[in-house]
Amino acid sequence: MDYIKDKAPPVREDRLRACNAYGGSCDNLVDQSQKGCLNGIKRTFSQTQGCQLNLSLAILNTIRDSVVIVHGPVGCGGASLSVAGVNKNFQQLRDSNARGLLWVNTNMGESEVINGGEGNLREAILHAEKEFRPSAIIIVNSCVPAIIGDDIDSVVEQVQSEIKAKIVPVHCEGFKTKIMASAYDAVYHGILRTLIPDLDADAVSRSDNKNQLEELQEKYRISRTVNVLNVSSMSRIDEYELVRLLKALELNLNILPCYAHPEDFLKATEAALNVSICATHDDYFVEHLKTKYNIPFILRTIPIGVKYTNRWIMDIAKFFGNEEAAQRFIDQETKLLEEALAPYRELFKGKRVMIGGGEIRVVANAELLTYLGLEVVGMRAYHYDQFADEMLEEVTQSDKVPFNVATGQPFEQANLIANLKPDLYIGHVGGNGWAGKQGVPVLPIFHQSNIFLGYTGVFEFARRLARVLKNPSFNRNLGENTKLPYFKNWYEKDAFSYIDEGN
Amino acid sequence: MSKFIERPRYLCTLGGAIATLKVLPRVIPIIHAAAGCGGNIANALHGASGYLGSGYCAGLALPSSNIYEKDIVFGGEERLTEQIATTLEVVDGDLYFVVTGCMVDIIGDDAVAVAKRFHQDGKPVLGAETGGFKGNSYKGYDIVLSKLFTDFVEKNPLKEKNVVNLFGLVPIQDVFWKGNLNILKALLEKIGYRVNTFFGEGETLDNLKYAGAASLNILVSDVYGIEPAQIFEETHGVPYVIAPLPIGSAGTEKFLRTVGEALKTDKALLEQVIAEEKARYYSYIERLADVYNDLDFQRYSVVVADANYAPALARFLADDLGWLPELVVITDVLTEEEQQLVEARFEDFTSGIRPKVIFDTDTSNVSKHFNASWPQNKNDRYFDSFSPAFLLGSSLDRDFAVSIGAPHLSVSYPVSNRVVLDRGYVGYRGALLLVEDIFGLLVGSR
Repeated sequence: MDYIKDKAPPVREDRLRACNAYGGSCDNLVDQSQKGCLNGIKRTFSQTQGCQLNLSLAILNTIRDSVVIVHGPVGCGGASLSVAGVNKNFQQLRDSNARGLLWVNTNMGESEVINGGEGNLREAILHAEKEFRPSAIIIVNSCVPAIIGDDIDSVVEQVQSEIKAKIVPVHCEGFKTKIMASAYDAVYHGILRTLIPDLDADAVSRSDNKNQLEELQEKYRISRTVNVLNVSSMSRIDEYELVRLLKALELNLNILPCYAHPEDFLKATEAALNVSICATHDDYFVEHLKTKYNIPFILRTIPIGVKYTNRWIMDIAKFFGNEEAAQRFIDQETKLLEEALAPYRELFKGKRVMIGGGEIRVVANAELLTYLGLEVVGMRAYHYDQFADEMLEEVTQSDKVPFNVATGQPFEQANLIANLKPDLYIGHVGGNGWAGKQGVPVLPIFHQSNIFLGYTGVFEFARRLARVLKNPSFNRNLGENTKLPYFKNWYEKDAFSYIDEGN
Repeated sequence: MSKFIERPRYLCTLGGAIATLKVLPRVIPIIHAAAGCGGNIANALHGASGYLGSGYCAGLALPSSNIYEKDIVFGGEERLTEQIATTLEVVDGDLYFVVTGCMVDIIGDDAVAVAKRFHQDGKPVLGAETGGFKGNSYKGYDIVLSKLFTDFVEKNPLKEKNVVNLFGLVPIQDVFWKGNLNILKALLEKIGYRVNTFFGEGETLDNLKYAGAASLNILVSDVYGIEPAQIFEETHGVPYVIAPLPIGSAGTEKFLRTVGEALKTDKALLEQVIAEEKARYYSYIERLADVYNDLDFQRYSVVVADANYAPALARFLADDLGWLPELVVITDVLTEEEQQLVEARFEDFTSGIRPKVIFDTDTSNVSKHFNASWPQNKNDRYFDSFSPAFLLGSSLDRDFAVSIGAPHLSVSYPVSNRVVLDRGYVGYRGALLLVEDIFGLLVGSR
């Protein structure tokens, strides 16, 4: 894969034929996906969702010692207002001196729509440099400058020579795609083009400055280092768990991209292996590092639940040739975990659960819940692409379970909940409140404050699950005292009535 | 050319329009825009406004045409038509209001005409162009209210003497809007008026529909809701009076007298209500006599807020609490004339205190204005420091408060570090809550 010479990456509809409008059984989903005929993105009734700019900010807002410039009208990127406070705390878990989230909006008004907004952008960059002296200035480009033809790359080229901060343009115009996950490619594209060192120049400087012994030591260090690619909706304690798992294989970790310092990306090429915890998040990045720097990668699974955590560790161990040590570690860990989970199993037995979130994580979560003794009655994923096929095919009990691919679209969720009547809803932010209003107990997952990954994550998840089930009164009361905005007859229709397969 | 804004404290026109519609009872916004506009706005209207929640049909439930590249090329009116029709099928509301994002305004979709076609078919559908580049949240509020006043409020030549409308207090942008409206309504009811605020507790769309029968529109703002008020006057023959947002005894007394004069309220009743409310207010404030004077609870202060709150808070601090609000930074985008109107509100404090008032949209400039207004200690043996201090601002101002060693209460948008339900800070009653919150922080470590 090599799109790096282009200013912007292709969108996921084109690159992966990703889909975000589907309703049907799991086996049919996998079947269609494998045939390559799954690319629905259209509903005749739709509700709002995130765009690739919103999701790009979820990652870019975490980068330390940076200023984000939102090039667009004043509302674009406004959701940063709600995370600015907590963002600083999370940054400071990585660096106690971190300044937190700083951003500038170029405030394009009617006059810029007519005359162009390049001047505003230039001023904003110079202001960010002068005011904050950051390591990086990250520009997220919105719809309006794209449609009126602002050439942000030439503005960047000009200004870069005047300032010290590295400028990172990110082309994430919302209207270009309905697959919000295109954001990952847009972000990595910007990072690959600006923050990752140029291979040839780097090799020269390395050999220049080091003697033979140092070079050998360096080579050894790199041979035992993996880049672990995190996501913005995981916690610092999740990262500690991954460090712990890979320490058992005597590996060192570079954790990228979320909450990293811009200079951390300089080291991205100094690793023996790239390990993803979510293929749909990282394939663009690791494929490019493979093409350009010949660094192999593992994209296959996510360390959620025992089965996939084992597999995640084993895949990495295989690469480094220490399967035996890995197996010993896995055996020991699973034994301890089994004992710790035993008291919870009776409580979970037969509880019917619906799950929502990112495709890979939803499927892994289904496996985890089944393992814990619950029955998965429905799944919802933001989008769907080839990366979930292997895992979803394995969740064999779930063949006929309804799978809903929807970025948001809480009306479909409301219909499913009303008809499937789950005992529990487990989901990512955005959909949980609606489930709560239907009276269903909710356990939120994929959060920056909780641990969910690895063996420790399984136990903590079980513990939280038991806690939620112990007293679901809050949501029960909500269910009795609130109403969702849909007509009664909506719940009598097929949940997927408004998915337009003809598009 | 407009200037960039560092950490703007408002959304775009569309954001303000959705905020306004979101809290009108049983009104369903239909967004005609790219997919992410609503999602971005939904997050900002929840997590930055005291955890308001998704509401009845907002958050990720906002109906939206989610147009993308193909629609931009071929036009999105067809998609909008489909979306309005299906929204009428699925979502249960009394009024459906189409609002637009930048892209469809730029390519020239006529969303208002599409909405009109549904209206002509007898469906309760309205529409307005609210592309984000037109301005900020306040602009969206003004556009939506103007449209509702012309196309939804029923014409009624007969005016009811004891009915008034109150607006200019921008919901969500004023994080305490609902509590504030409750308090102002109750206060005006005491002097004999029924009040439509459109967004208040227990109100329905009928309060808006029959608002044309009011005898006066009361605007609690020098700058917001003015255009809708003028349109209201032209369309329905109802005049308006500006009575700025009142916080505390000094401000509220002024508010009641302004309104009373405009409405020719019975003087004896007005005086009686002021006396009663003031007596109640001071029966609680009196409790602070000991702690204020034992622990010296006078404070230097900085206020960072919007054009409505800033004068109200500064007056409350200076005239009610006897504090020293030395610097006020107003973070809204205002024209020069608007700035003059707002600045004039700082000129008649009964305490004689006259804060330095700065208009600046950029968050990190607050500390620069502070440094320019108060001398820095250059290792002087004796130094008149800005201490003890207190900061009233938004959650974005926490870092600045920490830098000057001041406790900090988030009052103006964004408020992400507090949960706000029916709390309000206006009037006599709200001021008591504000006193609880401010002094609560001062005794917080005891």
